[in-house]
Amino acid sequence: MTEAAPALFVALEQSSLGAAIRQSVWLYPAANVGHILGLAALAGAVAIMDLRLLGVFSSAPPAALVQPARRIAIAALLLQVGTGFLLFTAEASHLVLNPVFQAKMALITLALANALVLGRLSSTELDYVPAHEPIPARLRVAAALSLGLWLVVAAAGRLIAYA
Amino acid sequence: MLKRVAAVVLLAPLAGLPAAAHHGWSSYEADKPVTVKGEILSAKYENPHATITVKGEDKVWTVTLAPTSRMMTRGATKELVAAGKQVSAYGYPSRVEKDEMRAERITIDGKTVEMR
Repeated sequence: MTEAAPALFVALEQSSLGAAIRQSVWLYPAANVGHILGLAALAGAVAIMDLRLLGVFSSAPPAALVQPARRIAIAALLLQVGTGFLLFTAEASHLVLNPVFQAKMALITLALANALVLGRLSSTELDYVPAHEPIPARLRVAAALSLGLWLVVAAAGRLIAYA
Repeated sequence: MLKRVAAVVLLAPLAGLPAAAHHGWSSYEADKPVTVKGEILSAKYENPHATITVKGEDKVWTVTLAPTSRMMTRGATKELVAAGKQVSAYGYPSRVEKDEMRAERITIDGKTVEMR
């Protein structure tokens, strides 16, 4: 525990939930495993959506891939928030001051904002695009940004332990 | 434009790398090993890493150990790694946290357990 952190995060770490996560033999490793599996699902679903918009898998109508992949991505993201909150709570006062953790949170904010824009654009511009048709340029830009941002978020997550 | 954004985004997490460290072996000075011997003053048998404080000859060290499941598997139980026991911990001082070291192995009651 570090006193340098904002009181909210010191309190979160010292909460009974924080203590329970640290003192359980299996809870922290289980959250860790869940976070990795959630990352695999999230990155896979994001890659399918973004690669389709970038012109890969072009024999499928874009909406046919993007819509189910988005549902998987949202479910995986909820798993990431849940498991991530458990991992964070165990060491909140340290993590909140960790520069890579801070960068990761900022990048997630950017990636989510981009995903909202992408969702809005694709609902108006993608629904009736058939297979093999070119994807509008601003959707391609947003898809490239999305893929890059989420991969960097994943890399930052792994690097938290080394900062 | 997109390339520049991508470069900034890709490199951004690296900017903070050498700053405040907590765990991962890279933030410990492997070329300056120390052996801390003395009484365990307090023990936290917790995840992600157990920690003990040890009254060394020169000062009180905080010694970072390993995840609890690994320690249990190897016989470094909560009962063994407890306040009041004499410990010898071989490991590496932190580059960042004052008076903290990460143990490569510990010896308590004649039993040596690897932490890595």
